[in-house]
Amino acid sequence: MNDGPAGEELISASYPLGHEAAKAYADSVESPPRYRRENIHSDAEAARRAGFAAPIAAGEHVYALVAQFLADRFGLAFLRGGRLAVTFIKPVPYGDRLTVHARPVRAGNAELEVWVENQRHERVVTGEARLSKER
Amino acid sequence: MAEDERILMAAENLKQGLELGPIFYVVSAEQADKFSRTLGCTNPLFTADAPPGSRLAPPTMRLQDYALLIAAHFKGGSGGVHAKHWTEFHEPVRVGQAVRTAGRITRTWHRRGKFYFELEYETCDAVSGQLLTRQAITAILLRGGEMR
Repeated sequence: MNDGPAGEELISASYPLGHEAAKAYADSVESPPRYRRENIHSDAEAARRAGFAAPIAAGEHVYALVAQFLADRFGLAFLRGGRLAVTFIKPVPYGDRLTVHARPVRAGNAELEVWVENQRHERVVTGEARLSKER
Repeated sequence: MAEDERILMAAENLKQGLELGPIFYVVSAEQADKFSRTLGCTNPLFTADAPPGSRLAPPTMRLQDYALLIAAHFKGGSGGVHAKHWTEFHEPVRVGQAVRTAGRITRTWHRRGKFYFELEYETCDAVSGQLLTRQAITAILLRGGEMR
């Protein structure tokens, strides 16, 4: 992980989001029974009907990567009094490799621009995070 | 067999102000293990290496509580597509903690032929009432499996 000084971009290790990772994520969260039926994350026809070329990764899974990256990097400064807000701008097909990026808006600032890129350096998630004063 | 009194998950039933929940559960170490492994997390704050009683749940481990709130009130439908999400982390959730989650539909709107809804939900300590997280999902409702 790129862990530069304040003001520089922080970049996570690459996370391969394939079918196995998706299944592991689905098995690790408590979902209502309906979610275990075919849906846009597991069924090609359901994905196609919703307008996707193929089943896509759950937005929650990608969000979890961002939140965990910030929690690992900033600890209680994020977990107690922090905030994260994102927009999912591009679907993530299985097989993509994702990196989480975070950059202080100004050096030493508690406001961060955050985003997730795929292996083609396309942004799939954009957003912002805020740390608490507990640092 | 008890009759299913839930209402259909449909745009006309997703009313602004509709209260959902509460649900109650104890934050599970087993789930924390699985969730941490899925994300490749080795941070000792979140793993079994943490001192007894101090282990934290990964921050978004219970994000899908919104789905449990929806499923307790609605049936059917074809799901949705996640458009946005925000979370305020007030206090870390601890493994073994008893929590209460409740929510409400805060906004619904149409845009470019799609139906959007925002569901805001809070997770609190079930005993003290201390606020742990407040968050909201914005989703596009799938109707007949389509984003329309």
